[in-house]
Amino acid sequence: MDVGLNSSQLALRDSVRDVLRTECPPGVARQAMTDPERWRTVWKTVVDLGWTELAGPAEGDEGSFSRVDLAVVLEECGAAIAPIPLLSSVGLAAGVLRVAGSAVGEVLDTIGGGVVAALAAHPPGCRLPGVPMTLQGGRLRGRAIAVAGLPRADLIVTLAASSDGPVAAVVRVGDGVAVHTAECTDPAQPVADVEIDAEPVVTAPVDVESALATPLLAAAADLVGVADAALARSVEHAKARQQFGKPIGAFQGIKHALADNYVALERARSLTYAAAARLDDPATSPAAGWTAAALAKAAAAEAAVGCARTGVQVHGALGQTWEHDMHLYLRHAWQGAATLGDSRALYHAVGRRVAGGTA
Amino acid sequence: MTGTNGVVAEFATWLTEFLPDDYYDRYREYRWDLDLRRGYQRAAFEAGWLQPTWPREHGGRSLGLADAMEVRLESAMRSAPKLPNIAGPGVVAPGIRQFGTAEQIDRLLIPLLRGDEWWALGMSEPEAGSDFASLRTRAVRDGDVFRVKGRKIWTTQAHLSRWCTLYARTDPDAPKHRGISCLILDLESPGVTIEPIRMASISDETFCEVILDDVEVPVSNLLGPLNGGWQVAMSSLNHERQMIWIMNWVEIQRGLDSVRAAETAHDDYTSGEVFTELGSLLADAEALRATGYRSLHNELAGRPSPEADILKLLGSLTLQRVWELAAAATGPRSIDDIDLLFERQDALAATIYGGTSEIQRNIIAERLLGLPKG
Repeated sequence: MDVGLNSSQLALRDSVRDVLRTECPPGVARQAMTDPERWRTVWKTVVDLGWTELAGPAEGDEGSFSRVDLAVVLEECGAAIAPIPLLSSVGLAAGVLRVAGSAVGEVLDTIGGGVVAALAAHPPGCRLPGVPMTLQGGRLRGRAIAVAGLPRADLIVTLAASSDGPVAAVVRVGDGVAVHTAECTDPAQPVADVEIDAEPVVTAPVDVESALATPLLAAAADLVGVADAALARSVEHAKARQQFGKPIGAFQGIKHALADNYVALERARSLTYAAAARLDDPATSPAAGWTAAALAKAAAAEAAVGCARTGVQVHGALGQTWEHDMHLYLRHAWQGAATLGDSRALYHAVGRRVAGGTA
Repeated sequence: MTGTNGVVAEFATWLTEFLPDDYYDRYREYRWDLDLRRGYQRAAFEAGWLQPTWPREHGGRSLGLADAMEVRLESAMRSAPKLPNIAGPGVVAPGIRQFGTAEQIDRLLIPLLRGDEWWALGMSEPEAGSDFASLRTRAVRDGDVFRVKGRKIWTTQAHLSRWCTLYARTDPDAPKHRGISCLILDLESPGVTIEPIRMASISDETFCEVILDDVEVPVSNLLGPLNGGWQVAMSSLNHERQMIWIMNWVEIQRGLDSVRAAETAHDDYTSGEVFTELGSLLADAEALRATGYRSLHNELAGRPSPEADILKLLGSLTLQRVWELAAAATGPRSIDDIDLLFERQDALAATIYGGTSEIQRNIIAERLLGLPKG
């Protein structure tokens, strides 16, 4: 088992980091909260640089980027809390299509070229992602909630039950697709509910667990980045801020909280890299792949929320202000934590499988 | 890769041949079987599985780090018998190999590795626990010997050991980290009194108090440089720390099995929160293993591996949570489950030995995150 980044992945990480440092400092996320078009300039850079090509092509094709590559880039975008739909389009929507065979190849190419897609995988009333739609007589129908990135998307990828078993389906946003946008936790990453009664562009049979594994992994990578950045900000503050005549980071109350954050972060990062490697390995069974990705997502959400909450605590009153960046990390973390299954629901699902001997 | 699989398969076959046929059925008894555990150490030494990265004459087969880790994990997953005096091969042997003179290696290493001579770690003192560098035991040079006076405590298995790596102050004027030396003490020397301390659990890793009343230690028994004891200790413990997570990981696996077995025994409860905690612990267990691999991967590539510093803290905390969950899942039957009692008690030691969790957090905060010392 090989877990970790090779030298070309480390180089990829560094180059993505460098671009984001100049193009997308954390303040951009704050601007995007009030300016609904702010994301477009960053997105153009990202598309021009070819990061959206991480979407595909479909499994097994030559030149397909590995999921470790995908995780590396999404982690950096998470760390930058970049207000762009890279996770929702390339990680979540394309993540499903990666395992849907050659029928969806064209759509993957489109997403790879920068067209924005969103994944509708939350059936109303469920904590875990699943199959929110039905496909009958060539028509796709159903409702999904909290679709990440939908207000910016042109395409919707979803999962549907059909008489021939589950399928991945793609529809264009337009006629027969009602998008309900509301205020959300992280306005830099808007979400929407959707109601569909439309003819899909394409459908392809999928295994639901395999289909959801890459999206879970992608969400994990994003949250690992958020955790890392939030912790780094707290550490910086704990070194600089003086009380009782010394830096607050010298007190074990702060020091140990941040050390625990570090453990949570590296725990999540290890699970994420390991899950990526597992999903890249064709010998991995769908159940094992889903389990690895679900645990990574659960751990990453815990790390991100934990680091951001500790960050607010460490920053004191400052952390409660609009002008300080910590709420940006916290909003992103909370929203990501609730997407594709909250940590407890995912742990529960894995625990039940393992206790029942089905994993 | 084929190399790895081949080596692991060879080890697995060897282990199967070594273990009694009913080993897994009667694991609860065999785990206390000292003869079996001694026999296992000797056989592992002879077959080259004891310290796989070391050369043949030192109980290994010169395996690379990656292969060695696979062998250790296989051994862990198969619940291979626990070495009866883990301090010897786990902590002292790497120190002797790294710092010992040719004579010391010749005289001491093989009996240690075969398990014929046990070792104790003479580190903690009544006034020096986590603050190990403040130890007070004194060693004063007198011709060819050091004269040692002082008191060690929590010295595991000293009453069954022949030797002790004794840390003593040899330069009282130097800063506290720089005035300590490591002496190889023959516990049969005149002036040594060993008092076992009754343990709260049925553990066979009994603590002792070791009283040193004008004990003579030949100068030739100095391990490492004079006043270089701190490096000897840190380097030896570091070696142990890399092994501890695998030991924790095995015990975590056993605990998880126990949760799974217990979970089916109740019909009045839907077990939702047990499943949730179980899932979280499965993540911990997998994170330990994946972090172990990540750190190995970085080490092999010649890169720093800071993530390795979470292994001890995460492994020990997870172990405790696993057994607490096993107790919850067992319900009132946990009350008369004496094996479970031992597991829970034993797990509590994991956040203390080899550097407490508090010290681990200080290390992470100060060395990795760069926070100031308190």
